[in-house]
Amino acid sequence: MAVSSVTVSVEPVLESKIQEVKLDGQEIYVPPLSMSENLTKLAHKIDFYKDESDEKGKPTSEGEKDEAEEKVLTSFEQPSWVWDSVRNKLKAAFTEMAVLTDVLNIIKEKRYMVADPVSQDQPDNKPSVLLLAKKRGLVSAGSVLISGAERLKRSHSEHSNRAQDDYFIELLKIRQNWRLKKVGASILGDLTYKTAGSRFFQGGTFEVTKIVDDKTDTSTSHSRGSLEVIIPSELEGVAYIQVEVKSVPEMMDLTSVTLKMPAGLGVIRSDAYWQNKLEVAQNVLFCKELFAQLAREAVQIKSSTPHIVVGNQIITNAFPGIQLSIVLCHYTGKEKKIPQAPQKLEHNHVLEHSLHQLLREVHFKNINYVAPHPVNAMLGMSKRRRLAGPQGTSRRELVEMNVRDTLLEQIIKQTKHAVLRLRTMHVLDELALCIQDPQITAHWSCLNSSLECCVRINITAYGYEVVRSSLVLIIEVDTIQAILKDSRTITLSFEDKALQDLILWQISQHHIQVVQQLAKFHAWTVVSTNFNVGVGDIDLYGTAASLMMASPKGDKVLAFRSGAYNKIQMYLKEIDPSEAVDTSPAVTNPKWQKIIGTFQAVDVEKLQGKTFSQKVDMVMAKLTSMS
Amino acid sequence: MGVVCVYFYPVPEGKSGQQVVDGIQKQIELLGAVKTGNFCVDCETFQAGSGIQNTPQRQVNILHSSEQPASCFAILDTGTCLVADALFDGLMQKLKHYYQQRKGSKIESKGQRYEYGDFIFKVGSVSQASNFKGILVEIEYCPCVVAGDCMNLMKEMSQSLLGSAVAEQQSSFLKTKTDMIYTPADTMSQYLEHFNNFKKATSVNQAMNR
Amino acid sequence: MENTFSVGLKNNIAPQQEYLLQGSIVDLHRDVLLHRLRGLCDNADKQPETFSDHEMVFVLRGATAQQNPVLFRVRRSLDPPDDPSWHIRYLGTSEIGDKNRHTLVRACFDVACSNNVVKFLNEMGFRSDHEYCVKGYFFHKGRMKVTVSKIYRMVQTGTPDGNTQEAMTQSSLVELSVVAPAGQEQIADDMKNFAEQLKPLVQLEKVDQKRLSVQ
Repeated sequence: MAVSSVTVSVEPVLESKIQEVKLDGQEIYVPPLSMSENLTKLAHKIDFYKDESDEKGKPTSEGEKDEAEEKVLTSFEQPSWVWDSVRNKLKAAFTEMAVLTDVLNIIKEKRYMVADPVSQDQPDNKPSVLLLAKKRGLVSAGSVLISGAERLKRSHSEHSNRAQDDYFIELLKIRQNWRLKKVGASILGDLTYKTAGSRFFQGGTFEVTKIVDDKTDTSTSHSRGSLEVIIPSELEGVAYIQVEVKSVPEMMDLTSVTLKMPAGLGVIRSDAYWQNKLEVAQNVLFCKELFAQLAREAVQIKSSTPHIVVGNQIITNAFPGIQLSIVLCHYTGKEKKIPQAPQKLEHNHVLEHSLHQLLREVHFKNINYVAPHPVNAMLGMSKRRRLAGPQGTSRRELVEMNVRDTLLEQIIKQTKHAVLRLRTMHVLDELALCIQDPQITAHWSCLNSSLECCVRINITAYGYEVVRSSLVLIIEVDTIQAILKDSRTITLSFEDKALQDLILWQISQHHIQVVQQLAKFHAWTVVSTNFNVGVGDIDLYGTAASLMMASPKGDKVLAFRSGAYNKIQMYLKEIDPSEAVDTSPAVTNPKWQKIIGTFQAVDVEKLQGKTFSQKVDMVMAKLTSMS
Repeated sequence: MGVVCVYFYPVPEGKSGQQVVDGIQKQIELLGAVKTGNFCVDCETFQAGSGIQNTPQRQVNILHSSEQPASCFAILDTGTCLVADALFDGLMQKLKHYYQQRKGSKIESKGQRYEYGDFIFKVGSVSQASNFKGILVEIEYCPCVVAGDCMNLMKEMSQSLLGSAVAEQQSSFLKTKTDMIYTPADTMSQYLEHFNNFKKATSVNQAMNR
Repeated sequence: MENTFSVGLKNNIAPQQEYLLQGSIVDLHRDVLLHRLRGLCDNADKQPETFSDHEMVFVLRGATAQQNPVLFRVRRSLDPPDDPSWHIRYLGTSEIGDKNRHTLVRACFDVACSNNVVKFLNEMGFRSDHEYCVKGYFFHKGRMKVTVSKIYRMVQTGTPDGNTQEAMTQSSLVELSVVAPAGQEQIADDMKNFAEQLKPLVQLEKVDQKRLSVQ
């Protein structure tokens, strides 16, 4: 008796063949053939040139015939119907299927036939065998997985090392940053600023090549990448523009300037990354264009001060005594190494940056045309110029529209302004340090441009800030405009002495104004003030100011005179009422007694008090008698 | 652009035009004016030729001025003035089948230009086909843009320079424009008025002389 | 004294001739063309400029029928709405020329003028023939101008308002033009090279206007 019955299932083979097993274990089946496809497949299997009966030598219903005859016959004549053998085979299969069905039906009925299971031996339940079998199975599964993983790892490392794919990725990256073109078999690129508006004649075409890597060790090849750029020879190396502003002895001849070769910079490595190489080359081109433009202007433009262009240097005088030099430093690495002490390079970074910006502005104007409205209007003109006709613009205005400063003129203007600004700061700082008595404070405006800036100077007395003199200085390219408190405008030249004089003068006027204010506090009456005194010695600069005030009772009179370069002078007149002078009966009012008396000078230095206003305050307090 | 007045200065009997021009120029220089170059205002006339549909005969005057070199002024006899680019001459050439240029109609005023503070003086001798016609003096006051505001000042200046008889003339054209902003087209209309007067005077003279 | 125009003619700097190539593109694909033009022309990093113009065509007819009528086109920009700039355009007859010349050449005068043009032309005898609006995008490369525009018919004459316009076609007109003094033939070659780059999207070619005109 069988313990477990063996089930028999009869079913057609419906499993489709596995076409592919994906990496995540999914199986893709071959789609089962359709009827027509199946038929076609079978028909292909039929070999119409070979007769079935020929091979097997089956006795045909035609009887025994000569085999040779048969062969001959069959070799000449085609079978009567192409599908004959197919039909016979199908018929045989059908017959057998029918027989099987009948047998199964009979078995089902259990009347004439019974299906008995075949007794089987009990399988051995030896655990050690089972264990061995399982272990072997696992080992084989493990080895399959390991071999697969091995293969993946190998292909991955091959991938990363494969120069072919790397080259294309690098090419994609370089194409995202630079314009490339395929010319014939080579790939050329453009370094120039032409698409940004430059009209420089020098071309900058670089070539992109693949690195044919012979087996070097992996560290260096990784840093190089698989792409190489070849830069034209005139753009090799590193370049920069150096702008220097220095003061030279005034009467020095421009032609005897000292030329110096700049110390070399490090040159770029030949195996550096292509982006660095290209950027450095583009910078060289930009510096060359900038210098060429400046040199051309220096030679062609006629200006009041001469410019000298020597080799790679442009030298000009911004102010007498201030020299501006612009040097193009291009170090290609091919020069002899001159052993020189490393000089400290004096760069004026602000002006260098300005130069770069100015050239970019020129480029921008070359390309950015104002859109014409209506669209048929002339391209390239500004709107104002287009409307010049209909609006009847005068000749003078047209000329003004066309005049434009050259690059060199613009940078000289900026230099002049920078120098003037620094000088002004210097003067103000020095004055603020020297003069302690009224305090000088300078407030620089944060709104300024490269050609103009503004500063407000306040003069206040310590402790008496209620009185404040202020003036505004507008520093332009060549001159300084000073706007005083009463709206008078004075134009100063670039000499520092002019500014110093002006401020000292304002200080002297400030003193008088402070005393005027003090008079109010002490209830003294101001008899007279004059800011333009016409008597006395002429001052070195400006006019002197004077003030005369009388005490509340009228018996004390103080007089002051202050000028820019003179120390402030103070005079006192005390009237002693006991000094009765013979009065004539014509004089009826006792006030006329007060106009007699002489002034005596007072030594301001010896008075008590730290500042002038304190001293005067003290004096006034002492002299005021309440009785 | 300021306000401009164009005055016709009559040539007295016995003197030549050149003498009068020199006299005026000397006076201006005595004032202290600075000579700043030459100027020229010219005018060409185009007449509608063989008739255009539905339009009466029209005349177009094209004026150019060296003071406004980028512009070209086209004034019709109805008074409409078009201010255009200098290329307008090319357009007129294209219309030559309809508007023909009258021969010998080109008339121009040429002379010296002086600047005196806020004033600009132009003394021009008018000539048509190299025949001297007369003298036109132009005074411009730059700061003002409304004609009515500076008429009195202009009268005073022209009185001191040219005499009260001349100063009294006032263009009929300007009378209508006292409150509007003054444009270069108005200057050209004044010139055209004077040029037309010159042309009429010649034809009257010719008629009288016959 | 010679005036500015005659001096310009003498020195051959007065712009007198227009070299023109025209084509059209269906509205659906217009954006692709705009993208391509943006890359090919100057200032690729900025948004393309738009324009909107209103053009009126005036005709001067003679009393007799034999004289050819003269057409003057008065064009003004609608973009800054309260400050239009007026232009008078005159376009001569276009010469197709031979195979060697790649572009259409015609005399072209574009004159800026003050805003009483319409009154002036009416008094001179011109009569208004028709008017239309043009709106589109504008590109430039060097001195070549490329415009991609749609033409709108005015439903109400006189007021070019957005509501009173209707588009005339479902496509946009693409024009490549250069206005230059007479006799500079290499411009035509440059224009042809540029047109080649737009080839599959739009075919720019010289269109014989005599065959198009309806008399």
